[in-house]
Amino acid sequence: MSEHVVTDPRPLAAVLVSAIAVVFIVASYRYPNVREGWSVLAALAKFGIVASMLPGVMDGTIYVWSLEEATGLQFVAGVDFALRADPLGMLFALLASFLWIFTSFYAAGYMRGLDEHAQTRFFAAFAASLSTAVGIAFASNLLTIFVFYELLSLVTYPLVAHNEDSEARIAGRKYLTYTFFGGGVFLLAGTVLVYWLTSQAGEATLAFEAGGIGLLTDAAASDPAIAQAAFYLLIAGFGVKAAVMPLHSWLADAMVAPTPVSGLLHAVAVVKSGAFGVARVYLDTFGLEFPTAFPLSVPFVGDVPLNIPVAILAAFTLTAASIIALRKDHLKRRLAYSTTAQLSYIVVGLSMLHPIAVLGALLHIPAHAFGKLTLFFCAGAVHVETHTDYVSEMAGIGKRMPLTMGAFAVGAASMAGIPLLGGFVSKFYLLIGAASGAEVATFGLEVIWLWIFAGALIVSGVLNIAYLWPVVYTAFFESEDRHDAKPLLEFRAGGQPESYGVLEGEPNGVVATDGGRDANGEDDGREDESVIDEASDGTTDHGEDDDAPLPDHDDPERDAYAVDAHPSDADVPFGPGSSDSSDGADSEHVHDHDTHEATGSHDEHNDDRSSHDDKHDHHDHHDDHHHHGGAPMGGWERKSPVTFAESTWLMLMPITVIAIGAITLGIVPDYAVFLELADTIVEAVTGEGVR
Amino acid sequence: MIELLATRYAYALMFVLLGIGLYMVIASENLVKKLIGVNLFQTAIFLFFVAVAYVEVDGEPGGSPVVPATTEPAAGDLILASPLPHVIVLTAIVVGIALTAVGLALIVRIHAEYGTLREDTLREVRADE
Amino acid sequence: MSDVDLLPALLVVGPILLATVPVLLGLRYDRTGWSVALGTTLGVFAGACYLALEVYSADGVNREIAVIHELGGFSQPMGIELVADTFSTLIVLLVAGTALGVLAYTRVGGPRGNTFYSGYLLLVGGLLGLSMTGDVFNMFVFLEIVGLGTYALISSGDGPESAFAALKYLIIGTVGASIYLIGVGFLFMATGHLNMHALGGEIPGLEGQNLQLARAGFAFIFVGFAIKVAQWPLHSWQPDAYQHAPDGVTPLIAALVSTVSAYALGRLMFTVFGGDFIAATPYAAAVVVTVGAVSVIAGSTLAVIQTDVKRMLAYSSVSQFGLIVAAYGLLTETALLGAVIHLIGHGLMKAGLFLAVGVIALGYGARTVDAYAGLAQHRPYVAGSMAVLLIALVGIPPSIGFIGKWYIAVGAIEAQSWLVAGVIFLSTMLTLAYVARLLERMYFTPRSALESPRGTAGTEPGPAAAGGALTDGGRAMGATAGRRVTIGMLAVVALTAVIAVVLGFSGDVFTELLAPFIESAELEVSP
Repeated sequence: MSEHVVTDPRPLAAVLVSAIAVVFIVASYRYPNVREGWSVLAALAKFGIVASMLPGVMDGTIYVWSLEEATGLQFVAGVDFALRADPLGMLFALLASFLWIFTSFYAAGYMRGLDEHAQTRFFAAFAASLSTAVGIAFASNLLTIFVFYELLSLVTYPLVAHNEDSEARIAGRKYLTYTFFGGGVFLLAGTVLVYWLTSQAGEATLAFEAGGIGLLTDAAASDPAIAQAAFYLLIAGFGVKAAVMPLHSWLADAMVAPTPVSGLLHAVAVVKSGAFGVARVYLDTFGLEFPTAFPLSVPFVGDVPLNIPVAILAAFTLTAASIIALRKDHLKRRLAYSTTAQLSYIVVGLSMLHPIAVLGALLHIPAHAFGKLTLFFCAGAVHVETHTDYVSEMAGIGKRMPLTMGAFAVGAASMAGIPLLGGFVSKFYLLIGAASGAEVATFGLEVIWLWIFAGALIVSGVLNIAYLWPVVYTAFFESEDRHDAKPLLEFRAGGQPESYGVLEGEPNGVVATDGGRDANGEDDGREDESVIDEASDGTTDHGEDDDAPLPDHDDPERDAYAVDAHPSDADVPFGPGSSDSSDGADSEHVHDHDTHEATGSHDEHNDDRSSHDDKHDHHDHHDDHHHHGGAPMGGWERKSPVTFAESTWLMLMPITVIAIGAITLGIVPDYAVFLELADTIVEAVTGEGVR
Repeated sequence: MIELLATRYAYALMFVLLGIGLYMVIASENLVKKLIGVNLFQTAIFLFFVAVAYVEVDGEPGGSPVVPATTEPAAGDLILASPLPHVIVLTAIVVGIALTAVGLALIVRIHAEYGTLREDTLREVRADE
Repeated sequence: MSDVDLLPALLVVGPILLATVPVLLGLRYDRTGWSVALGTTLGVFAGACYLALEVYSADGVNREIAVIHELGGFSQPMGIELVADTFSTLIVLLVAGTALGVLAYTRVGGPRGNTFYSGYLLLVGGLLGLSMTGDVFNMFVFLEIVGLGTYALISSGDGPESAFAALKYLIIGTVGASIYLIGVGFLFMATGHLNMHALGGEIPGLEGQNLQLARAGFAFIFVGFAIKVAQWPLHSWQPDAYQHAPDGVTPLIAALVSTVSAYALGRLMFTVFGGDFIAATPYAAAVVVTVGAVSVIAGSTLAVIQTDVKRMLAYSSVSQFGLIVAAYGLLTETALLGAVIHLIGHGLMKAGLFLAVGVIALGYGARTVDAYAGLAQHRPYVAGSMAVLLIALVGIPPSIGFIGKWYIAVGAIEAQSWLVAGVIFLSTMLTLAYVARLLERMYFTPRSALESPRGTAGTEPGPAAAGGALTDGGRAMGATAGRRVTIGMLAVVALTAVIAVVLGFSGDVFTELLAPFIESAELEVSP
């Protein structure tokens, strides 16, 4: 397909629209409605500009704006500061600008619902970060993308540290460290190496070319080690933002930010810019033939194509993160690990190098965005309306927020890859791509690896259901006074030792699976009765007991039972049904905190990098003595979905629209623009379309 | 080695003076003595330059670079020590004087404020602030 | 000589002569110092701009387009020249601009008095002389004039610490300059010349004992300047000097004195000795690069642990100059270009940063990192400008700090010196470590969250009650004898921040401007 390059100020306009809006937002700090109006206006304008370029780009026109053409200034000797709207850039820019429109409404509703401080700074930083995200999308060479990449890290930092408490500051520091290490160190090093390599082969250039920079491939022939180093440095640099393990732990901690930030930025703009950057590296810097043309020679193994280690890391991430997400009680953290996993779908798809897999990966960018944004928005709406953050407290919340949790179900289905939703289409292509790649693979081990990757994708899909379905289930199919304990969340990793037949401190070591008898014998009946009586009341005063019901095998009462102390599960620890009021819950939490101190209540970011078994996570909310989540006394209020009474329209409207978007991507992918765009990209890079 | 030292004794002396000066700067406790050390350091350099300027040809030492008023050259060429380093040294001496003056002024002020010129005492007093 | 040729001499002699005027006028009138200084620096700035126009609009080899003034009419190699070529003119512009800008602060915030402004003008004259001199011994003289001016200005602060810091700087700085003089002596012994251009012609041809002398000379000269530029491990005078100098003096000396010293080092290394000589001298390039690289790491590490902001920025200077010295040692064209760009950029940024620190100390009373908590809320403009300058210092594009770092990094890769390249890339993180600390305090730490530190001049005692937060600021301001921040100060700080960002797009412009000098250095593109 021929490229038809046109000079046009629209890419620059798309970037600058929200940068200019920042000024207006700050200026109208006294008038919240006007200020929010600027955000919406800027979002609409940005989307309008980007969408206006879409028809041309689909036809093969590429719109370029270059500082050198406009002013005669080169940014750095030999490198231009240029923006260009090509299909890959359009994919990301269209996505980001479209979603921003609705996020600005949502953010307004969210911030006002919580009466947050520093809203002007928030909205200004938000607008600026969208400006830099579109800059990343339209960057036409490695240096320009680097500039916007760094600016994105900088501008999103105030959003991460928004709360200004010590937790937010720590998360902010971690965020800065990771993103600037990735950007400022790895990415810059890779860019300089590419610049030097191309200067060896001809005129130094950093400009992206569909199919790879020609001079780079030429130079790599004479200096493969440096080219390989450049490849890995660039992937690592973008991989930090794309939350590939082991560089992923900033993402979970960044969830302290307000939900619009977690949603748009950390599920859509920031992390997607990392994945987008990886796509640029594979498709437009090195090309899809490069990894196999210059393999690493690993001792004892032979030649390893460059993409295999990246794909291995990505496959590991998507499995491990899904497993970690299983044990997260804090909903946003669960979603953060879900994001970590889903982004690695994109990286693994790109790393499989087969056109169909690449198509799947590129399509996953919007598919995941729509689904995940729905999920985050729902989580945020729940937080605003009920101050509930923990899944274990969300029993029956479907009564209170039916529309929201319905949208959550849609988003969850999309994440899991259920047909009729967006996530299915992209995952379908990914799996087909893995299988097709296995057919044409040249390196022996590659076949095995590709099947392993396909397997990882399927396993992760199942795990997706495993960690998202309980939320939907507990919202709709459980009620606040009678819900099951969730073993994955509330008990130790690996289960109770009693389940394996080991009772500590019990010389007989007899395990009773039937409810058993108390070791003392006489008190059995009374104990049982009192427990059962209280259980059947539906309310208990266990909060006032010294021995609060705990899965703690040091408790003598506890030894009598095999698995847990309360057969009816009515009074789950940490749950709303276990005490009369949230004060009781707090005191239990304090008590729990004391007894579980021995097992340690570490913040999870200490454990993240080392294992996929995070043992201590369910203690994390013990550290937060401020939360008042959970159902109020008397249970959730019932709200009807039809009357939109559960929350403000500012939040409900975006949730609905984006959920519908996720459905649209699944039902009519041919008409939703993204599939065609992705196909155009693949065609430009490999010379043949997929569909 | 001895031969070298005997002929180039000026340079050897220069380094000895440098060493003494530096030692005074580092090791003496009194600030004035430190300043004197700096002066000694600079004087060593002056000695160096003057030594550099010295010219000896066939055992004939060069005369002092004063050009006589007459324009009639005597028999043969004039063999003169190079005047340029002497000029350098003069300038450097002046610079050294200025620095010493400023340094002493600062020392006077320090003494007025702290009442002592001993470095270890000053360190204690300043650490307490 | 044509008119333009007089300009370098006027630029040097003018401020020195006019330095006597405030003292003379002070006999009769009071407080004339600032006006005289303003007039002089305006004139100097205008002259520098005119000079820049002349130099940069000409085409040709570096030596041809330079504006050269022969002092006393004696031509080289006997006479002393003042040379304004493409390299030194940039430095002259920086000196003139900074001297002018800092005056906006000293009118209200700085030390007052006619003698202070005499010293100020003397320092400016000395700096201009050091930038433009073409004779190695003349450089020593100007180095000492600059030193004298600096010692005097540093000690003009209240309190005895400034006198002590000045004395420490005096002793160490004089030893440094003297070591440089030894190096000059060796060079003179080897070649018989003192003129830089003549030396540059002679040195490549040296052999035998003269070559050894020249190498020894290089070693002494480098060590002398390492002291003056405050490289590790010879940097210990700098934190004290910057911290205890009055707030109006620190921007001047931080931005200019070390910068011009680093310029002088570059001038000597590339115009006098030349890249080939240094490359041929065993270990010379390695030592230069190592000293620079270690300074980068040591400076940033020490900066992170500081509590006083000025001291932190002083260690930051050690680190940034380490980058420049390491770039000098790489001996490639791109690295040299990067070093010069970073020299200018860093001077600009440090001037702005120290001015901002002074404004904050004046108007808000905060001097330590902890006391900066919540600054963004109370003093948004200063905090904003300072944030922009700090971010530019880290090297986040688009900013002048990034441009310099880019070229140095490319130069390091071209020279295939991977360790140095690694240090350069890591320097971003190291700089970020102390910058982020300050930014976090300013923007994301509410004021009541942290106790106010002890022992800081003019700050309120103890954690204030919620309502007292604003009134404490007022008390602090009252404590500094009713001085207040003027619009002029804020404007200069904001202007510096804006320039730092705008220059971030000017990589190409710098390349063109400096091309004649880089070519004259005759470095290989990559060894």
